[in-house]
Amino acid sequence: MADVILKNVRKNYDPAVLKDTLRNIELNIKEGEFIVFVGPSGCGKSTLLRMIAGLEDITSGELSIGGKYMNDVPPVERNVGMVFQSYALYPHMNVYENMAFGLKLKKMDKETIHKRVSRAAEILGLVPLLERKPKALSGGQRQRVAIGRSIVQQPSVFLFDEPLSNLDAALRVKMRIEIAKLHKELNSTIIYVTHDQVEAMTLADKIVVLSPLKESAESNLEQYGSPLDLYHNPSNKFVAGFIGSPKMNFLDGILVEIGLDKCKIKLNSGDIVTACVDARRGKVGDKVELGIRPEHLVPVDHPDAVGRLSGQVQVAEHLGAESFVYMEVDGKDFTVKAASEIPVDTGDTLEVGVPAQACYLFDSTEQAFPRTAKYNRT
Amino acid sequence: MAIVQPKSIKYRLLATHLVMWAFIAVIAFPLVMVIAISFRTGNFAVGDIIPTNPTLDHWKLALGMSIQNADGSITPPPFPVLRWLWNSIKVAGISAGLIVVLSTTCAYAFARLRFQGKDLILKGMLIFQMFPAVLALVAIYALFDKIGDYIPWLGLNTHGGLILAYMGGIALHVWTIKGYFETIDPSLEEAASIDGATPWQAFRLILLPLSVPILAVVFILAFIAAITEVPMASILLSDVNNLTLAVGAQQYLYPQNYLWGDFAAAAVMSGLPITIVFLLAQRWLVGGLTAGGVKG
Repeated sequence: MADVILKNVRKNYDPAVLKDTLRNIELNIKEGEFIVFVGPSGCGKSTLLRMIAGLEDITSGELSIGGKYMNDVPPVERNVGMVFQSYALYPHMNVYENMAFGLKLKKMDKETIHKRVSRAAEILGLVPLLERKPKALSGGQRQRVAIGRSIVQQPSVFLFDEPLSNLDAALRVKMRIEIAKLHKELNSTIIYVTHDQVEAMTLADKIVVLSPLKESAESNLEQYGSPLDLYHNPSNKFVAGFIGSPKMNFLDGILVEIGLDKCKIKLNSGDIVTACVDARRGKVGDKVELGIRPEHLVPVDHPDAVGRLSGQVQVAEHLGAESFVYMEVDGKDFTVKAASEIPVDTGDTLEVGVPAQACYLFDSTEQAFPRTAKYNRT
Repeated sequence: MAIVQPKSIKYRLLATHLVMWAFIAVIAFPLVMVIAISFRTGNFAVGDIIPTNPTLDHWKLALGMSIQNADGSITPPPFPVLRWLWNSIKVAGISAGLIVVLSTTCAYAFARLRFQGKDLILKGMLIFQMFPAVLALVAIYALFDKIGDYIPWLGLNTHGGLILAYMGGIALHVWTIKGYFETIDPSLEEAASIDGATPWQAFRLILLPLSVPILAVVFILAFIAAITEVPMASILLSDVNNLTLAVGAQQYLYPQNYLWGDFAAAAVMSGLPITIVFLLAQRWLVGGLTAGGVKG
């Protein structure tokens, strides 16, 4: 069990040729927390994990685990366990030998090894498979062996590099729940990399959102906070667009009225929308972007429907319990998640209500204005 | 099995088999001829494929036994063929083993480590390998003559020197093994290093056990090359007792007297160690060793 602290960490694979992959990463991970690194591909999340593991060196900055400076410490002495995306099981050893390999290298006595491996096998339900070679295991079982191999080492920090991305959808949900249970049971620090924001939202105590580094940007650490915090109060447009499924809708407009806890925005389509956002940092006439989550839109006769938007329906998907309507508003894609069936089809015009509490607002540099309310559709 | 085939497939199959049998016959014919010559009475290159008066005289001489001629005189074996055979096996076995060791470690560095000039050295090795070593025979002779002044057991007319010379030709083996190493997911070694393995342990305990098939292939290739090699061995070795079989067998052939029969018996014998090594190594030539370790 240990804290993991990153200070001003930067990674550059080849300074002569390439620009930075990661810049100015500041993280303070507390003991026992489940942290998820999330971001689109190429944002450096796996690189960051590998730097914590010691598989990549740190270009500049400082990494400490359990209060010890770890920049130049080889992987084995960092007391971390890692589960690879590809599982990386040793093909010529059976399940037992796979898990015992690290302990044997550390010259532990046979009894301790046996005890630890048996315990891990019990936790993960691998007892009947101990004699099998990896090629005789299914994907989910291989994944469990990979997890078991790191458990037996009793590391202070577990590192998971997209562990579920090779599994099929049903197995992924099952393993996700098992990993959550495992965290409760072991109560150790876990750092988990994924590009799947559902995994991130369901597993994490705190989420780290990373973006592909722009040349001018100070850092590609976009936000670090609890899942609901990221959902309700994203610090910028990138996080707002990345967290939530389907993606948040964005519409361009200008500020026309600024109040204490409310403001009015005139959209390019001409509609005026009231938003529960503290926009006092901006001024009237500023260009802004309005964000609305698909699941927050309501029918026009709903009591919360303060503003209105209308658009042309492109495609409507009826899933039974809910419906997705993809339409075009002011020349931009706009998604509506309706609670039940709504009788629309391609080519129809649909009008939806926009609750003032459901609005997010971003300035011209894509930074968010503070929201003054949260919204949950009832 | 279930694909429906047109009727003409029967004839095409037959034609294919005929062509293949003809091809095999062409390949096997010289071998059959050599075997036939080794059992034929007298020393003639041409004659019946199945000898009319088969004799074991050539084989007796090759195996170091004297033969009694029709007139009662006794012909002692002219050359120590068995000793040559043993020399061949010794030189080929040791040099193949050392070649495997050298080229494996070398290939590991090229496949996994990052260092300056890697590409240059790799390509350079390939290009230098393109010049046949035969062209450098004079230089090799001079070199080993000089080495012998300082380290006698590596000098001219020693098996140590010949083995050292054979170890020069590993560039292609390095490429072969490097290519195989690169098919093994590096995350296996990363996992090992997190488990606490040093790079050497990761190499020995993870990478090597998975590479057995390619090591067997390289061993066989190196062994065959050393057994059949003539120019270098004929330059470096001069003592009759030190010769390898491939070089020694030529002593049967001199312009005044071509002893084809004795030569053929020695030649067939030189194929034996290769066959044995091949049969022994076959059990290592298995696929699917890395199956199940990683999922791509």
